[in-house]
Amino acid sequence: METFRSIVELMAVFVLPAIIVGFPLYGLYKKVPVYEEFVEGAKEGFKVAVQIIPYLVAILFAIGMFRASGAMEFLVEGLRPVLSLVNIPPEVIPMGIIRPLTGSGSAGVVVDLINTYGEDSLIVKIAATMFGSTETTFYVIAVYFGAINVQKTRHAVPAGLIADFTAMVLAVYVVQLLFG
Amino acid sequence: MLNYIWAGLIVFSLVFALATDTREIAQDRYRNDAALPVELHFPDGYAADARRQSVEVRIRPEVYQAFYDTDATPERAYDGTLVQTQDGRQVRFDAGASLPEPMATIREVTAGSDGELRAVLQDFVPNGRTVAASVAFEPVRFVKMTAITQAAFDFADTAVNIIIGLIGALALWLGLLRIAEKSGLVGIIVRLVRPVLRPLFPGVPKDHPALGVIALNLSANMLGLGNAATPLGIKAMEELHKLNESEDTATDDMVMLLAMNTASVQLVPPVLLVAIMGLQINELIFSIIIVTGCSLLVAITAAKLLSKMRRYRATDPNRKTVVGLEENHPSDAADVDDPDAPPSNT
Repeated sequence: METFRSIVELMAVFVLPAIIVGFPLYGLYKKVPVYEEFVEGAKEGFKVAVQIIPYLVAILFAIGMFRASGAMEFLVEGLRPVLSLVNIPPEVIPMGIIRPLTGSGSAGVVVDLINTYGEDSLIVKIAATMFGSTETTFYVIAVYFGAINVQKTRHAVPAGLIADFTAMVLAVYVVQLLFG
Repeated sequence: MLNYIWAGLIVFSLVFALATDTREIAQDRYRNDAALPVELHFPDGYAADARRQSVEVRIRPEVYQAFYDTDATPERAYDGTLVQTQDGRQVRFDAGASLPEPMATIREVTAGSDGELRAVLQDFVPNGRTVAASVAFEPVRFVKMTAITQAAFDFADTAVNIIIGLIGALALWLGLLRIAEKSGLVGIIVRLVRPVLRPLFPGVPKDHPALGVIALNLSANMLGLGNAATPLGIKAMEELHKLNESEDTATDDMVMLLAMNTASVQLVPPVLLVAIMGLQINELIFSIIIVTGCSLLVAITAAKLLSKMRRYRATDPNRKTVVGLEENHPSDAADVDDPDAPPSNT
């Protein structure tokens, strides 16, 4: 696994410079006015970013309020009996709930769990796998759809959440299977 | 659905905040009108006419635990300052003192910008170096209500800061991609990835640059290149939006791209997780890849199946034939929740 990781990381190191240098180089070869075209494209950057702001504000402030309200503790308490029935440790519930909502918040959950249970514990391994195998769905929705000013997201939220839910449940069982 | 989740987050934060605050008031968690018995110790003796002098506040654990009905244990002594004015005496706990709950919360709520917890000194009769007295803190009420209001504004700020941090990377990638498009590089990528991506994005014409940018976005994701993946994803969305007949409604292809991004296929764990976990991460790579791979398959399947549901078909901005009356009633709840239902209209 370590060799695999270092190979991928090595690739990651070289891919970006290759693109940053390669794209303009290929453009030169094809007689494209590279500087002018770059600037022309980059101009959009600011506009698109500004366009995302209202979407991200809308999503993040609601998530921030939810986190600050202490709702998480209530949810964890409520879900605890249900989840212990299907062999899911209740300690990882906050991770499952908070992961699609905020990246920094879920990183905080992992840190808390490490401080309480230690890096080697099954609970931390489950939480870290949950963290690593999913994305901050609502952030991605706000940014990607915000950039093009799309408000009606249709089945994007359910599809994203179904995938997140699968990942959360799978993480529990896969880690228990591999390390349990 | 986003409407309901969004409104739900806001409404539930209010409900839970109210519930928590009411419970704390009912339990009198902060003992708002009572004074905590303490011992004041003056290392240099008590100076009656000094406006400010340093003092050591000693709290007996058993007194503290009985007073606040808690298991938390205070430290043996806290450094502070005794401030005397005509209006009375005030004890200020030095900023940064590690206070037990609920004193820590009281400080969080009542302390000013200097971070010092203040308390009014009562029953103080100076005699000698160590004096028994009691301290009353400012009343604390509606902690969570204040917290959610504060959080709303803080996170609105955070959102703007995140975006400002994104501008540079976004401009860089949009510039590079413009060169790639003009030079025909994107076209080459499109031809390479077409066999794989075409079935997933059936709404994209054969030689459209969208497929190329999508491929770049997904590869950046796989390699864990966060600062490349987001700008590339945004650009891919823009390309897909060019094929969109509506202004404000997502197409099936956009949802597919989004679902694939939220499933986040990564061959290397995210940098943040590596920073948190250290070397322990190595043994988790395998489990992460299994889980994320499965969730990608689920994401793709879910996006495909959901797009076939009647309520989502009815809102598809690009659907070929506009038949059926439910076009303007996408939230008709009667005929939903059955992903296996055969496509009936059109």
